[in-house]
Amino acid sequence: MRKYADIAAVTLVLALVPAAAGGSPYYMRLATLALVYMAWTVAFNLIFGHTKQLFLCLNALAGTAGYLAVVLAIQLKLSPWVTVPLGVAAAAGLGALFSYVSVLRGLGVIFLGIVTLSFSLIFHNLVLGLRQFTNGETGLVSRGLGFSLLEQPVPSYYIFLAVLLAALGTYHLLMSSKSGMAFRALSDDELTAELSGIDVTRYKVLAAAVASAILGLNGALYAFYNGIVSPSVFSFVGIDIPVLIALLLGGMRTRLGPVLGAVAFALIEELVRPWGQLNVLVYGLLLIVLFTTFREGMVPVIEKLWRRLDLRQAARLRPEQAEAQRRTP
Amino acid sequence: MLVRVEALHAGYGATPVLRDVSLEANPGEAIAVIGPNGAGKTTLLKAIVGMLRPTRGAVRYEGRYLSGLRPYQVARLGLVYVPAERELFPTMTVLENLQLGAFRNVRAAGLQLGYVFGLFPRLKERQRQLAGTLSGGEQQMLAIARALMGGPKVLMLDEPSTGLAPKAVAELYRNLSQLKDAGLTILVTEQQVTLALSLTDRAYVLEQGSIRLSGRSSELLGDPAIKRAYLGVA
Amino acid sequence: MTALLFDGVVQGLQLSLLAVGITLIYGLGGVLNLAHGQFAIVGGVAAALLLQLGINPVLAALGGVGAAGVLGLVVDRTLLLPAYRYRGEERLLLGLILTLGFSFLIDGYLNWRFPEFSLSFQLRVPMVELAGIPMRTASLAASLIAVAVFAVLFAFLKLTLLGKSIRSIIENEVGAELCGINPSRTRTLIVFLAAMMAGVAGVTQGLFSSLGTEMGPEFTILGLLVAVVGGVRSINGTLAAGILLGIVNVFASHYVGAYVAYIILLSFAMATILVRPAGLLARFT
Repeated sequence: MRKYADIAAVTLVLALVPAAAGGSPYYMRLATLALVYMAWTVAFNLIFGHTKQLFLCLNALAGTAGYLAVVLAIQLKLSPWVTVPLGVAAAAGLGALFSYVSVLRGLGVIFLGIVTLSFSLIFHNLVLGLRQFTNGETGLVSRGLGFSLLEQPVPSYYIFLAVLLAALGTYHLLMSSKSGMAFRALSDDELTAELSGIDVTRYKVLAAAVASAILGLNGALYAFYNGIVSPSVFSFVGIDIPVLIALLLGGMRTRLGPVLGAVAFALIEELVRPWGQLNVLVYGLLLIVLFTTFREGMVPVIEKLWRRLDLRQAARLRPEQAEAQRRTP
Repeated sequence: MLVRVEALHAGYGATPVLRDVSLEANPGEAIAVIGPNGAGKTTLLKAIVGMLRPTRGAVRYEGRYLSGLRPYQVARLGLVYVPAERELFPTMTVLENLQLGAFRNVRAAGLQLGYVFGLFPRLKERQRQLAGTLSGGEQQMLAIARALMGGPKVLMLDEPSTGLAPKAVAELYRNLSQLKDAGLTILVTEQQVTLALSLTDRAYVLEQGSIRLSGRSSELLGDPAIKRAYLGVA
Repeated sequence: MTALLFDGVVQGLQLSLLAVGITLIYGLGGVLNLAHGQFAIVGGVAAALLLQLGINPVLAALGGVGAAGVLGLVVDRTLLLPAYRYRGEERLLLGLILTLGFSFLIDGYLNWRFPEFSLSFQLRVPMVELAGIPMRTASLAASLIAVAVFAVLFAFLKLTLLGKSIRSIIENEVGAELCGINPSRTRTLIVFLAAMMAGVAGVTQGLFSSLGTEMGPEFTILGLLVAVVGGVRSINGTLAAGILLGIVNVFASHYVGAYVAYIILLSFAMATILVRPAGLLARFT
């Protein structure tokens, strides 16, 4: 039961945030955005943390779903209940496609990164170029399209919290099943995993598809919540970089790393806000420092502290009990 | 004594390969290290030259310790290694490969080139040919010639006869014999035991990472244990 | 038509200057330098600052190029040290992230410090005529400079021993080291040269167009695309790819618009990676 205590605690804290925010629209939006980024970071954890697929197109996947959902709702007068799933399907399909092709062609991490980065740029230019649908740089207004819940702060918060919990739940399901073992094997040594009979293609594509679906779902919902969809809403510097930093900060391949990392990043973002343009500089500094020194992330550090506290408790028990406790990791 | 390996332990990551290996080579000597596949012959040479960091023990060359030196520094000191894979530059010409071999000692390059072409006239014929288009035997010649361009004092060769036709192997060992007569110290590892023992002065037998036997090559040739294990004689 | 072609070649040469630098750094350092465009910007900014101090334009330009080179040197000897401790894919990934972070560092700082910066040189003779084709002197000068740089580079690599040692490391680092060649010192030299080439691109951009502090990422991406299409290990391929993509870009921009042109270039790069990862002119795998 210890295993779920941390998730329960986090869920409780997150559920109570609206009360703490006291109705301030600024803090509600901040908190909701944090939830959005948390789910995106969970997705990136699956793709990059667990299956070593460097997708540098998170913004394009989320944005494809977002733009698709809004544009179809506007142009074809379809309900968001139809367009959002369509957007999610598109994102999941694209993600799975990139993953499949990259395994097929034996692309290394870097080349996949370049391909997805190119896709990210193509997305950006497509949005700007297809201005008859997307209204180019100015963007589209996504209000009054039939998704009224997302136009109110508190319901929106809980919708995104639900998505986050669903994402974490999916993550947990995957990791504790056969897939989880497969992920661990292939992230260690892909060739050996393949030779041991693990269908590497299937598991990589699965991870990519699930992660892209999460990216798409949140992207589509975010598009409606934000009230406006424009290229700057789904930009590389606005999504991919914060998610990468959040995952590193929180701890790759951990369950709650994405959550803690996103919170930490949101705090840093707030701290840096008054400096304006310099936030990009801080991103750069964070990337460099994180990748050279703080590779593990917060969750493993917290776990180690926790363990040390545990052992100290054990020292107060009878010696045999303490020995037994020390033996179980 | 020119090269001395003292109680060397080395391996890859957590896997130990060499255990307590000691050997020495005096100036002008030709030493063979023979043994079966996987005995650690390549590991030994890599450890000597700095491509691998030993976990214990040391290598001394001309009295100084080589620990911590990078391979290019070891090469510049005159201890030159020709790996089994040869590691040539395939899209560069034979001449360019040779010129690069003289990198450590550019002033002597002209003289060395003449010497090397005299030793391997076939290379002189093909000097403008791309190294990747040479035959196996010619590539081996080029690898050795390139190593000689720097004017080394010690030449270490890892299984030079691999993949060569018998005629090419005979020619190769004739050339090595000439080099030995010219005063070069040679260390050669081989699976082909008779060949190695007939060329060299002394030999070490490396099995499963340790030296089992050592002595004068001529004596080892007549040794019944060697005969049984390596020469297929009952 | 010929005016477009000429423009394409001019642009292509600029792209090649950046791309060849990226190719060299990848070949020798095993690192994909995502901050390469920033070297160009720093070169331009340094030149502009020198100009402001009243220094002669030619010297200011050279100073800018030198500044870019020094920055490259510093990056190689400090920032990338953690990356060089690893090999292969680990080094590639770490180098990618570190240079990406550095790119943001420079971008953020320059945009904050010089928000309205723009570098441009004015020439006394705006137009000349060559073989009956009227062209802007600035464009002509920029391309001649680029061609000169490439000529010197190729001569260096082909004819000098140091240049050959650079090629040998790209081809077989182990073999080179066994010849007594110091890979890390040579690598620093190459990063220095590559950064200077980027500096030339940045300064000449101010010659026939104008250079802004926000153009760093764009330069990097364009250089990266060209390097990928040309083959990240082939210098000749990169030069050819640069000119080709420059021409494609100019023609596409003219006939179908800037966005579509960019998409075409990106698709070129993606297609190359998927079909022929070793690049256009790949002969040896």
